[in-house]
Amino acid sequence: MRTKRIFPLALLAAVSAGSVFTANASELSAGLTGQMAAQTCAGCHGTQGYIEDSAYVPLAGMDKEHFITAMQMFADGSRPSTLMGPLALAFSDEEIEAMADYFAAFPKERPAKGFISEE
Amino acid sequence: MSKMNRRTFLKALGATVAAGSTAAGSAPLFAQKNPHVAVVGGGVGGATLAKYLKIYAPSIDVTIIEPKTKYQRPYGSSEVITGHETMDDITISYDNLRDRYGVKFIHDTVTVIDHAGHKLHTAGGRTVSYDRVVVAPGISFDYSQIEGLDSEADARAKGIVHGWDAGEDLLTLKAQLEAMPKNGTAIVVPPPNPYRCPPGPYERAGLLAQWLEERGDDAAKVIVLDSKNGFTTDVTMLQAWNRLYKFNLPEQAKGLYTEEQLATFKHHEGEPKVDWIMGVMGGKVTRIDAENMIVETEGAGTFKADMINYIPPLKAGRVALENDLADETGWCPVDPITFESTRHADVHVIGDACIAGAMPKSGYAANSQGKVLAVQLKALLLGGEIQTPVYQNTCYALAGNTDYGMFVADVFRVKDGKIVRVDAQRYLPFDAEPHMFSMAATYQQAWMKAFTKDVFG
Repeated sequence: MRTKRIFPLALLAAVSAGSVFTANASELSAGLTGQMAAQTCAGCHGTQGYIEDSAYVPLAGMDKEHFITAMQMFADGSRPSTLMGPLALAFSDEEIEAMADYFAAFPKERPAKGFISEE
Repeated sequence: MSKMNRRTFLKALGATVAAGSTAAGSAPLFAQKNPHVAVVGGGVGGATLAKYLKIYAPSIDVTIIEPKTKYQRPYGSSEVITGHETMDDITISYDNLRDRYGVKFIHDTVTVIDHAGHKLHTAGGRTVSYDRVVVAPGISFDYSQIEGLDSEADARAKGIVHGWDAGEDLLTLKAQLEAMPKNGTAIVVPPPNPYRCPPGPYERAGLLAQWLEERGDDAAKVIVLDSKNGFTTDVTMLQAWNRLYKFNLPEQAKGLYTEEQLATFKHHEGEPKVDWIMGVMGGKVTRIDAENMIVETEGAGTFKADMINYIPPLKAGRVALENDLADETGWCPVDPITFESTRHADVHVIGDACIAGAMPKSGYAANSQGKVLAVQLKALLLGGEIQTPVYQNTCYALAGNTDYGMFVADVFRVKDGKIVRVDAQRYLPFDAEPHMFSMAATYQQAWMKAFTKDVFG
Protein backbone atom coordinates (compact mmCIF):
# COMPACT_ATOMS: atom_id res chain seq x y z
CA MET A 1 0.00 0.00 0.00
CA ARG A 2 2.72 2.38 0.98
CA THR A 3 4.28 2.35 -2.44
CA LYS A 4 1.16 3.24 -4.33
CA ARG A 5 1.01 6.66 -5.81
CA ILE A 6 -1.31 8.47 -3.47
CA PHE A 7 -2.25 11.77 -4.95
CA PRO A 8 -5.95 11.01 -5.20
CA LEU A 9 -8.51 13.64 -5.88
CA ALA A 10 -9.92 13.36 -2.39
CA LEU A 11 -6.64 14.45 -0.88
CA LEU A 12 -6.18 17.26 -3.33
CA ALA A 13 -9.67 18.45 -2.68
CA ALA A 14 -9.09 18.36 1.05
CA VAL A 15 -5.90 20.33 0.69
CA SER A 16 -7.38 22.96 -1.52
CA ALA A 17 -10.21 23.30 0.97
CA GLY A 18 -7.39 24.01 3.39
CA SER A 19 -9.03 22.40 6.33
CA VAL A 20 -8.35 18.73 6.65
CA PHE A 21 -5.00 18.87 8.39
CA THR A 22 -5.41 22.04 10.34
CA ALA A 23 -8.77 20.96 11.71
CA ASN A 24 -7.14 18.09 13.57
CA ALA A 25 -3.72 19.57 13.76
CA SER A 26 -3.20 20.33 17.38
CA GLU A 27 -4.39 20.72 20.91
CA LEU A 28 -3.86 24.43 20.44
CA SER A 29 -6.48 26.46 18.67
CA ALA A 30 -4.19 28.77 16.73
CA GLY A 31 -2.88 27.91 13.27
CA LEU A 32 0.78 27.67 12.40
CA THR A 33 2.78 30.85 12.25
CA GLY A 34 4.83 31.41 9.11
CA GLN A 35 7.98 30.97 11.17
CA MET A 36 6.80 27.66 12.63
CA ALA A 37 5.82 26.26 9.23
CA ALA A 38 8.83 27.66 7.36
CA GLN A 39 11.48 26.42 9.76
CA THR A 40 10.69 22.87 8.61
CA CYS A 41 12.14 23.81 5.21
CA ALA A 42 15.49 24.93 6.61
CA GLY A 43 16.93 21.46 7.17
CA CYS A 44 17.48 21.29 3.40
CA HIS A 45 16.94 24.84 2.11
CA GLY A 46 19.06 26.61 4.71
CA THR A 47 18.38 28.64 7.81
CA GLN A 48 15.90 31.40 6.86
CA GLY A 49 16.12 30.02 3.32
CA TYR A 50 19.73 31.13 2.82
CA ILE A 51 21.80 28.55 0.98
CA GLU A 52 24.65 28.87 -1.49
CA ASP A 53 26.13 26.40 -4.01
CA SER A 54 23.58 23.71 -3.41
CA ALA A 55 21.22 21.41 -5.29
CA TYR A 56 18.53 22.98 -3.08
CA VAL A 57 16.83 26.20 -4.10
CA PRO A 58 17.29 29.20 -1.79
CA LEU A 59 13.96 30.40 -0.40
CA ALA A 60 15.01 33.69 1.23
CA GLY A 61 13.44 36.58 -0.62
CA MET A 62 11.45 34.37 -2.96
CA ASP A 63 8.47 36.12 -4.48
CA LYS A 64 5.32 35.15 -2.61
CA GLU A 65 3.31 34.09 -5.66
CA HIS A 66 6.25 32.11 -7.02
CA PHE A 67 6.51 30.17 -3.74
CA ILE A 68 2.77 29.45 -3.60
CA THR A 69 2.61 28.36 -7.24
CA ALA A 70 5.60 26.06 -6.81
CA MET A 71 4.09 24.43 -3.74
CA GLN A 72 0.72 24.00 -5.44
CA MET A 73 2.35 22.43 -8.48
CA PHE A 74 4.36 20.06 -6.27
CA ALA A 75 1.18 19.14 -4.43
CA ASP A 76 -0.91 18.37 -7.52
CA GLY A 77 1.98 16.61 -9.25
CA SER A 78 2.13 18.96 -12.22
CA ARG A 79 5.69 19.81 -11.21
CA PRO A 80 7.61 16.53 -10.90
CA SER A 81 9.59 16.12 -7.69
CA THR A 82 11.25 13.54 -5.51
CA LEU A 83 9.85 14.44 -2.09
CA MET A 84 8.40 17.94 -2.42
CA GLY A 85 5.06 16.57 -3.67
CA PRO A 86 4.18 14.67 -0.51
CA LEU A 87 5.59 17.43 1.73
CA ALA A 88 3.61 20.16 -0.02
CA LEU A 89 0.47 18.04 0.28
CA ALA A 90 0.86 17.93 4.05
CA PHE A 91 0.38 21.70 4.44
CA SER A 92 -2.83 23.65 4.00
CA ASP A 93 -3.25 26.61 1.63
CA GLU A 94 -3.17 28.99 4.59
CA GLU A 95 0.03 27.46 5.88
CA ILE A 96 1.69 27.62 2.48
CA GLU A 97 0.73 31.27 2.22
CA ALA A 98 2.16 31.91 5.70
CA MET A 99 5.43 30.26 4.63
CA ALA A 100 5.46 32.32 1.44
CA ASP A 101 5.02 35.53 3.43
CA TYR A 102 7.77 34.50 5.81
CA PHE A 103 10.36 33.85 3.10
CA ALA A 104 9.32 36.85 1.00
CA ALA A 105 10.09 39.14 3.93
CA PHE A 106 13.81 38.27 3.86
CA PRO A 107 16.28 39.99 1.51
CA LYS A 108 17.58 37.66 -1.18
CA GLU A 109 21.17 38.37 -0.24
CA ARG A 110 22.37 36.86 3.01
CA PRO A 111 23.24 39.72 5.37
CA ALA A 112 26.87 40.16 6.39
CA LYS A 113 26.41 38.68 9.84
CA GLY A 114 24.95 35.55 8.27
CA PHE A 115 21.36 35.70 9.49
CA ILE A 116 18.61 38.09 10.51
CA SER A 117 17.50 38.29 14.11
CA GLU A 118 13.81 37.33 14.54
CA GLU A 119 13.59 38.85 17.99
CA MET B 1 -0.13 25.74 29.36
CA SER B 2 -1.19 28.86 31.16
CA LYS B 3 0.00 27.37 34.43
CA MET B 4 3.38 26.68 32.95
CA ASN B 5 3.58 30.13 31.50
CA ARG B 6 2.72 31.78 34.74
CA ARG B 7 5.10 29.70 36.78
CA THR B 8 7.95 30.29 34.38
CA PHE B 9 7.18 33.93 34.00
CA LEU B 10 7.29 34.45 37.75
CA LYS B 11 10.50 32.52 37.98
CA ALA B 12 12.03 34.51 35.17
CA LEU B 13 11.06 37.71 36.94
CA GLY B 14 12.69 36.65 40.17
CA ALA B 15 15.57 34.78 38.66
CA THR B 16 19.02 35.50 39.88
CA VAL B 17 20.59 33.41 37.15
CA ALA B 18 23.71 32.37 38.97
CA ALA B 19 24.82 31.03 35.62
CA GLY B 20 26.41 34.35 34.82
CA SER B 21 29.53 33.56 36.76
CA THR B 22 30.03 30.05 35.48
CA ALA B 23 28.67 30.18 31.97
CA ALA B 24 31.99 30.71 30.26
CA GLY B 25 32.34 34.45 30.60
CA SER B 26 28.91 35.81 29.80
CA ALA B 27 28.73 39.58 30.18
CA PRO B 28 28.30 39.96 33.94
CA LEU B 29 26.49 43.28 33.59
CA PHE B 30 23.53 41.60 31.89
CA ALA B 31 23.83 38.11 33.26
CA GLN B 32 21.53 38.77 36.15
CA LYS B 33 18.72 39.90 33.90
CA ASN B 34 18.87 37.40 31.09
CA PRO B 35 17.20 34.03 31.43
CA HIS B 36 19.69 31.20 31.05
CA VAL B 37 19.14 28.02 29.06
CA ALA B 38 21.70 25.28 29.61
CA VAL B 39 21.97 22.70 26.85
CA VAL B 40 23.40 19.31 27.72
CA GLY B 41 24.94 17.89 24.56
CA GLY B 42 26.23 19.58 21.41
CA GLY B 43 24.82 17.16 18.86
CA VAL B 44 22.20 17.96 16.24
CA GLY B 45 19.32 18.58 18.67
CA GLY B 46 21.29 20.67 21.16
CA ALA B 47 23.12 22.69 18.52
CA THR B 48 19.96 23.45 16.52
CA LEU B 49 18.08 24.49 19.64
CA ALA B 50 20.94 26.76 20.74
CA LYS B 51 21.35 28.42 17.35
CA TYR B 52 17.66 29.02 16.74
CA LEU B 53 17.10 30.28 20.27
CA LYS B 54 19.78 32.92 19.65
CA ILE B 55 18.06 33.87 16.37
CA TYR B 56 14.58 34.01 17.87
CA ALA B 57 15.46 35.38 21.32
CA PRO B 58 18.97 36.86 21.45
CA SER B 59 18.45 38.13 25.00
CA ILE B 60 18.34 34.58 26.34
CA ASP B 61 21.78 33.31 27.37
CA VAL B 62 22.48 29.89 25.94
CA THR B 63 25.29 27.61 27.10
CA ILE B 64 26.06 24.23 25.55
CA ILE B 65 27.86 21.81 27.88
CA GLU B 66 29.59 19.24 25.70
CA PRO B 67 32.80 17.31 26.35
CA LYS B 68 33.98 17.28 22.75
CA THR B 69 35.50 20.43 21.20
CA LYS B 70 34.50 19.36 17.69
CA TYR B 71 31.44 17.45 16.56
CA GLN B 72 31.52 14.34 14.42
CA ARG B 73 28.31 13.85 12.56
CA PRO B 74 26.88 10.34 12.66
CA TYR B 75 24.53 11.04 9.75
CA GLY B 76 26.18 9.90 6.54
CA SER B 77 29.13 8.51 8.46
CA SER B 78 28.87 4.98 7.06
CA GLU B 79 30.49 6.46 3.98
CA VAL B 80 33.70 6.82 6.01
CA ILE B 81 33.85 3.02 6.17
CA THR B 82 33.81 2.77 2.38
CA GLY B 83 36.10 5.75 1.85
CA HIS B 84 33.62 8.08 0.16
CA GLU B 85 34.05 10.42 3.12
CA THR B 86 36.96 11.04 5.46
CA MET B 87 36.91 11.71 9.20
CA ASP B 88 37.69 15.34 8.33
CA ASP B 89 34.55 15.45 6.16
CA ILE B 90 32.34 14.49 9.09
CA THR B 91 34.10 16.68 11.67
CA ILE B 92 32.38 19.98 12.36
CA SER B 93 33.59 23.05 14.26
CA TYR B 94 31.49 24.82 16.87
CA ASP B 95 33.03 28.18 15.86
CA ASN B 96 29.96 29.49 14.03
CA LEU B 97 27.64 28.72 16.92
CA ARG B 98 30.00 30.56 19.24
CA ASP B 99 31.12 33.48 17.08
CA ARG B 100 28.14 34.12 14.82
CA TYR B 101 25.26 33.34 17.16
CA GLY B 102 26.77 33.97 20.59
CA VAL B 103 26.22 30.50 22.01
CA LYS B 104 28.53 29.88 24.98
CA PHE B 105 30.37 26.61 25.41
CA ILE B 106 31.64 24.68 28.38
CA HIS B 107 33.61 21.64 27.30
CA ASP B 108 32.89 19.32 30.16
CA THR B 109 30.67 16.33 31.00
CA VAL B 110 27.44 16.82 32.92
CA THR B 111 27.15 14.25 35.68
CA VAL B 112 24.27 15.37 37.90
CA ILE B 113 21.17 17.40 37.17
CA ASP B 114 20.01 18.91 40.46
CA HIS B 115 16.35 19.22 39.48
CA ALA B 116 15.24 20.94 42.66
CA GLY B 117 18.17 23.34 42.72
CA HIS B 118 18.12 24.07 38.97
CA LYS B 119 21.82 23.32 38.76
CA LEU B 120 24.07 21.06 36.72
CA HIS B 121 27.23 19.50 38.09
CA THR B 122 30.05 18.45 35.81
CA ALA B 123 32.86 15.91 35.91
CA GLY B 124 35.26 18.84 35.88
CA GLY B 125 33.82 20.20 39.12
CA ARG B 126 31.77 23.04 37.64
CA THR B 127 28.29 24.04 38.73
CA VAL B 128 25.99 25.64 36.16
CA SER B 129 22.64 27.17 37.12
CA TYR B 130 19.76 27.29 34.69
CA ASP B 131 16.23 28.56 34.31
CA ARG B 132 15.53 25.75 31.91
CA VAL B 133 17.76 22.94 30.78
CA VAL B 134 17.59 21.15 27.44
CA VAL B 135 18.93 17.63 27.59
CA ALA B 136 20.00 16.32 24.18
CA PRO B 137 22.32 13.45 25.03
CA GLY B 138 21.76 11.15 22.06
CA ILE B 139 22.04 7.44 22.63
CA SER B 140 23.76 4.79 24.72
CA PHE B 141 24.28 1.14 23.89
CA ASP B 142 22.80 -1.88 25.64
CA TYR B 143 24.92 -5.04 25.56
CA SER B 144 22.82 -6.91 28.10
CA GLN B 145 20.85 -8.82 25.49
CA ILE B 146 23.69 -10.51 23.64
CA GLU B 147 25.74 -13.46 24.77
CA GLY B 148 29.46 -13.20 24.25
CA LEU B 149 29.80 -9.43 24.58
CA ASP B 150 29.60 -8.06 28.11
CA SER B 151 29.73 -4.34 27.45
CA GLU B 152 30.64 -1.75 24.86
CA ALA B 153 34.23 -1.81 26.13
CA ASP B 154 34.35 -5.61 26.09
CA ALA B 155 32.94 -5.72 22.55
CA ARG B 156 35.44 -3.14 21.37
CA ALA B 157 38.32 -5.02 22.99
CA LYS B 158 37.19 -8.08 21.02
CA GLY B 159 37.12 -6.09 17.78
CA ILE B 160 33.33 -5.85 17.51
CA VAL B 161 32.37 -2.18 17.10
CA HIS B 162 29.01 -0.61 16.32
CA GLY B 163 30.11 2.57 14.53
CA TRP B 164 26.70 4.03 15.33
CA ASP B 165 27.91 7.24 16.94
CA ALA B 166 30.71 8.26 14.56
CA GLY B 167 34.17 8.21 16.20
CA GLU B 168 37.13 5.88 15.77
CA ASP B 169 34.78 2.91 15.32
CA LEU B 170 34.35 4.02 11.74
CA LEU B 171 38.05 3.63 11.04
CA THR B 172 38.02 0.24 12.75
CA LEU B 173 35.19 -0.86 10.47
CA LYS B 174 37.01 0.57 7.45
CA ALA B 175 40.13 -1.43 8.35
CA GLN B 176 38.05 -4.57 8.90
CA LEU B 177 36.38 -4.16 5.52
CA GLU B 178 39.67 -3.63 3.74
CA ALA B 179 41.12 -6.69 5.50
CA MET B 180 38.28 -8.96 4.42
CA PRO B 181 39.49 -11.96 2.44
CA LYS B 182 38.37 -12.08 -1.16
CA ASN B 183 34.76 -13.22 -1.48
CA GLY B 184 34.34 -13.23 2.28
CA THR B 185 31.22 -12.67 4.36
CA ALA B 186 30.29 -9.55 6.32
CA ILE B 187 27.45 -9.56 8.82
CA VAL B 188 25.48 -6.46 9.77
CA VAL B 189 23.15 -6.68 12.77
CA PRO B 190 20.62 -3.82 12.95
CA PRO B 191 19.19 -2.94 16.36
CA PRO B 192 15.57 -3.57 17.36
CA ASN B 193 13.14 -0.63 17.33
CA PRO B 194 13.39 2.13 18.27
CA TYR B 195 16.85 3.18 17.16
CA ARG B 196 18.79 6.05 15.61
CA CYS B 197 18.69 6.43 11.83
CA PRO B 198 16.14 3.81 10.75
CA PRO B 199 17.40 3.23 7.16
CA GLY B 200 21.04 3.39 8.30
CA PRO B 201 21.97 -0.25 9.01
CA TYR B 202 20.53 -1.33 5.66
CA GLU B 203 22.27 1.47 3.80
CA ARG B 204 25.49 0.37 5.48
CA ALA B 205 24.95 -3.22 4.32
CA GLY B 206 24.47 -1.97 0.77
CA LEU B 207 27.54 0.25 0.95
CA LEU B 208 29.68 -2.69 2.09
CA ALA B 209 28.34 -4.88 -0.73
CA GLN B 210 29.01 -2.18 -3.31
CA TRP B 211 32.57 -1.66 -2.00
CA LEU B 212 33.28 -5.40 -2.17
CA GLU B 213 31.85 -5.59 -5.68
CA GLU B 214 34.02 -2.69 -6.79
CA ARG B 215 37.06 -4.43 -5.31
CA GLY B 216 36.31 -7.28 -7.68
CA ASP B 217 34.81 -9.74 -5.22
CA ASP B 218 32.22 -11.50 -7.36
CA ALA B 219 31.06 -13.80 -4.59
CA ALA B 220 31.40 -11.66 -1.46
CA LYS B 221 28.30 -11.53 0.67
CA VAL B 222 26.78 -9.14 3.17
CA ILE B 223 24.19 -10.76 5.41
CA VAL B 224 21.79 -8.65 7.44
CA LEU B 225 20.67 -10.59 10.51
CA ASP B 226 17.57 -8.87 11.82
CA SER B 227 15.17 -9.18 14.73
CA LYS B 228 12.66 -7.11 12.74
CA ASN B 229 10.43 -7.79 9.73
CA GLY B 230 10.56 -4.37 8.18
CA PHE B 231 12.34 -1.05 8.33
CA THR B 232 11.94 2.52 7.14
CA THR B 233 12.57 2.69 3.37
CA ASP B 234 12.31 -1.13 3.13
CA VAL B 235 10.04 -0.97 0.10
CA THR B 236 12.56 1.11 -1.87
CA MET B 237 15.70 -0.53 -0.45
CA LEU B 238 14.70 -4.13 -1.14
CA GLN B 239 13.65 -3.21 -4.67
CA ALA B 240 17.06 -1.58 -5.17
CA TRP B 241 18.93 -4.60 -3.81
CA ASN B 242 16.97 -6.83 -6.16
CA ARG B 243 18.14 -4.65 -9.05
CA LEU B 244 21.71 -4.20 -7.86
CA TYR B 245 22.85 -7.10 -5.66
CA LYS B 246 21.10 -10.29 -6.80
CA PHE B 247 18.85 -10.00 -3.76
CA ASN B 248 15.82 -12.29 -3.78
CA LEU B 249 12.86 -11.12 -1.78
CA PRO B 250 12.11 -13.53 1.07
CA GLU B 251 8.67 -15.09 0.92
CA GLN B 252 7.88 -13.42 4.24
CA ALA B 253 8.58 -9.95 2.86
CA LYS B 254 6.19 -10.18 -0.07
CA GLY B 255 3.43 -8.53 1.89
CA LEU B 256 5.27 -5.24 1.52
CA TYR B 257 4.27 -5.13 -2.14
CA THR B 258 1.24 -5.52 -4.38
CA GLU B 259 1.04 -8.48 -6.77
CA GLU B 260 1.70 -6.13 -9.66
CA GLN B 261 4.81 -4.79 -8.00
CA LEU B 262 6.06 -8.26 -7.09
CA ALA B 263 5.85 -9.22 -10.74
CA THR B 264 8.55 -6.65 -11.52
CA PHE B 265 11.08 -8.31 -9.19
CA LYS B 266 13.76 -10.43 -10.84
CA HIS B 267 14.53 -13.91 -9.58
CA HIS B 268 18.30 -14.33 -9.30
CA GLU B 269 20.11 -17.66 -9.42
CA GLY B 270 23.07 -18.22 -7.12
CA GLU B 271 24.17 -16.44 -3.98
CA PRO B 272 23.01 -12.86 -3.42
CA LYS B 273 25.51 -10.11 -2.66
CA VAL B 274 23.17 -8.82 0.04
CA ASP B 275 20.84 -11.02 2.00
CA TRP B 276 18.27 -10.13 4.65
CA ILE B 277 17.32 -12.71 7.26
CA MET B 278 14.16 -11.32 8.83
CA GLY B 279 12.89 -11.76 12.39
CA VAL B 280 10.21 -14.23 11.28
CA MET B 281 12.95 -16.25 9.60
CA GLY B 282 14.76 -16.49 12.94
CA GLY B 283 17.26 -13.76 12.14
CA LYS B 284 17.54 -12.35 15.65
CA VAL B 285 21.13 -12.62 16.84
CA THR B 286 21.56 -14.25 20.26
CA ARG B 287 25.31 -14.82 20.60
CA ILE B 288 28.51 -13.57 19.08
CA ASP B 289 31.73 -15.53 19.39
CA ALA B 290 34.20 -12.83 18.45
CA GLU B 291 37.25 -15.05 18.74
CA ASN B 292 35.96 -17.52 16.17
CA MET B 293 33.87 -14.95 14.29
CA ILE B 294 30.68 -16.92 14.68
CA VAL B 295 27.22 -15.39 14.97
CA GLU B 296 24.34 -17.44 16.33
CA THR B 297 20.72 -16.63 15.60
CA GLU B 298 17.45 -17.52 17.24
CA GLY B 299 16.21 -19.69 14.42
CA ALA B 300 18.23 -19.21 11.24
CA GLY B 301 21.31 -21.15 12.28
CA THR B 302 24.93 -20.16 12.80
CA PHE B 303 26.94 -17.90 10.52
CA LYS B 304 30.68 -17.72 10.06
CA ALA B 305 31.82 -14.22 9.21
CA ASP B 306 34.95 -12.33 8.22
CA MET B 307 33.56 -9.04 9.53
CA ILE B 308 30.85 -8.48 12.14
CA ASN B 309 29.11 -5.13 12.62
CA TYR B 310 26.85 -5.62 15.61
CA ILE B 311 24.71 -2.59 16.46
CA PRO B 312 23.18 -3.35 19.86
CA PRO B 313 19.81 -2.20 21.19
CA LEU B 314 19.86 1.50 22.06
CA LYS B 315 18.71 3.59 24.98
CA ALA B 316 18.76 7.28 25.80
CA GLY B 317 22.16 8.83 26.46
CA ARG B 318 23.83 8.26 29.82
CA VAL B 319 23.07 11.64 31.39
CA ALA B 320 19.33 11.14 30.83
CA LEU B 321 19.38 7.63 32.29
CA GLU B 322 21.35 8.72 35.36
CA ASN B 323 19.13 11.71 36.10
CA ASP B 324 15.72 10.06 36.19
CA LEU B 325 14.58 11.37 32.80
CA ALA B 326 14.00 7.96 31.19
CA ASP B 327 11.16 5.57 31.94
CA GLU B 328 11.25 1.76 31.94
CA THR B 329 11.67 1.75 28.14
CA GLY B 330 15.05 3.45 28.44
CA TRP B 331 13.77 6.56 26.66
CA CYS B 332 12.50 9.91 27.96
CA PRO B 333 8.79 10.76 27.99
CA VAL B 334 8.04 14.39 27.08
CA ASP B 335 5.20 16.77 26.33
CA PRO B 336 4.63 16.66 22.55
CA ILE B 337 4.37 20.45 22.24
CA THR B 338 7.15 21.72 24.55
CA PHE B 339 9.32 18.62 24.95
CA GLU B 340 9.29 19.28 28.67
CA SER B 341 10.00 16.10 30.60
CA THR B 342 6.90 14.55 32.12
CA ARG B 343 9.10 13.46 35.04
CA HIS B 344 10.82 16.73 35.99
CA ALA B 345 9.83 20.37 35.52
CA ASP B 346 11.93 22.85 33.57
CA VAL B 347 13.84 20.03 31.85
CA HIS B 348 13.27 19.51 28.13
CA VAL B 349 14.53 16.44 26.30
CA ILE B 350 14.96 16.47 22.52
CA GLY B 351 16.54 14.30 19.85
CA ASP B 352 17.14 10.57 19.91
CA ALA B 353 16.72 10.35 23.70
CA CYS B 354 13.10 11.48 23.82
CA ILE B 355 9.87 9.64 23.07
CA ALA B 356 8.37 11.72 20.28
CA GLY B 357 5.42 9.64 19.12
CA ALA B 358 5.60 8.85 15.43
CA MET B 359 8.81 10.80 14.89
CA PRO B 360 11.88 8.68 14.22
CA LYS B 361 15.21 9.00 15.96
CA SER B 362 17.05 10.90 13.26
CA GLY B 363 19.12 14.01 12.77
CA TYR B 364 16.34 15.78 10.92
CA ALA B 365 13.84 14.93 13.66
CA ALA B 366 16.21 16.27 16.34
CA ASN B 367 16.73 19.40 14.25
CA SER B 368 12.99 19.88 13.84
CA GLN B 369 12.37 19.39 17.56
CA GLY B 370 15.17 21.85 18.38
CA LYS B 371 13.54 24.57 16.27
CA VAL B 372 10.10 24.03 17.75
CA LEU B 373 11.56 24.08 21.24
CA ALA B 374 13.38 27.34 20.46
CA VAL B 375 10.00 28.91 19.63
CA GLN B 376 8.42 27.52 22.79
CA LEU B 377 11.31 28.46 25.10
CA LYS B 378 11.14 32.03 23.84
CA ALA B 379 7.49 32.13 24.95
CA LEU B 380 8.16 30.34 28.23
CA LEU B 381 11.08 32.56 29.26
CA LEU B 382 10.20 35.95 27.79
CA GLY B 383 6.41 35.72 27.86
CA GLY B 384 4.01 34.87 25.06
CA GLU B 385 1.88 32.00 23.90
CA ILE B 386 3.02 28.45 23.36
CA GLN B 387 2.62 27.83 19.63
CA THR B 388 0.97 25.10 17.62
CA PRO B 389 3.88 22.99 16.41
CA VAL B 390 4.62 21.21 13.17
CA TYR B 391 7.51 18.81 12.78
CA GLN B 392 9.24 17.30 9.80
CA ASN B 393 11.63 14.50 9.04
CA THR B 394 13.63 13.61 5.98
CA CYS B 395 16.08 10.73 5.90
CA TYR B 396 18.09 10.13 2.77
CA ALA B 397 19.84 6.83 2.19
CA LEU B 398 21.83 5.10 -0.53
CA ALA B 399 21.07 1.60 -1.78
CA GLY B 400 24.81 0.96 -1.73
CA ASN B 401 25.62 2.27 -5.17
CA THR B 402 26.21 5.97 -4.58
CA ASP B 403 24.12 6.85 -7.64
CA TYR B 404 21.02 5.12 -6.26
CA GLY B 405 19.36 7.15 -3.54
CA MET B 406 16.12 7.01 -1.63
CA PHE B 407 14.39 8.78 1.20
CA VAL B 408 11.58 8.94 3.67
CA ALA B 409 9.92 12.32 4.10
CA ASP B 410 7.24 12.98 6.71
CA VAL B 411 5.34 15.83 8.34
CA PHE B 412 4.11 15.44 11.91
CA ARG B 413 1.49 17.26 13.97
CA VAL B 414 0.13 16.93 17.49
CA LYS B 415 -3.24 15.23 17.64
CA ASP B 416 -4.98 13.98 20.79
CA GLY B 417 -1.83 14.60 22.79
CA LYS B 418 0.42 12.59 20.49
CA ILE B 419 2.80 13.39 17.66
CA VAL B 420 1.37 11.73 14.57
CA ARG B 421 2.37 11.51 10.92
CA VAL B 422 0.04 13.40 8.57
CA ASP B 423 1.50 12.87 5.10
CA ALA B 424 0.31 10.17 2.71
CA GLN B 425 3.11 9.13 0.36
CA ARG B 426 6.49 9.02 2.14
CA TYR B 427 8.84 7.18 -0.25
CA LEU B 428 9.59 7.51 -3.93
CA PRO B 429 6.80 5.76 -5.85
CA PHE B 430 7.58 2.11 -6.63
CA ASP B 431 7.45 2.81 -10.35
CA ALA B 432 9.64 5.93 -10.21
CA GLU B 433 11.82 6.51 -13.26
CA PRO B 434 15.50 5.54 -12.82
CA HIS B 435 16.61 9.18 -12.87
CA MET B 436 14.53 9.80 -9.76
CA PHE B 437 16.73 7.42 -7.78
CA SER B 438 19.76 9.18 -9.19
CA MET B 439 18.31 12.55 -8.19
CA ALA B 440 17.65 11.23 -4.70
CA ALA B 441 21.34 10.30 -4.49
CA THR B 442 22.31 13.81 -5.62
CA TYR B 443 20.06 15.31 -2.97
CA GLN B 444 21.48 12.89 -0.38
CA GLN B 445 24.95 14.31 -0.98
CA ALA B 446 23.69 17.91 -1.02
CA TRP B 447 21.74 17.30 2.16
CA MET B 448 24.85 16.39 4.16
CA LYS B 449 26.20 19.90 3.57
CA ALA B 450 22.94 21.82 3.70
CA PHE B 451 21.73 20.16 6.87
CA THR B 452 25.06 20.58 8.62
CA LYS B 453 24.88 24.31 7.85
CA ASP B 454 21.37 24.60 9.24
CA VAL B 455 22.53 23.00 12.49
CA PHE B 456 26.04 24.34 12.97
CA GLY B 457 26.58 27.03 10.30
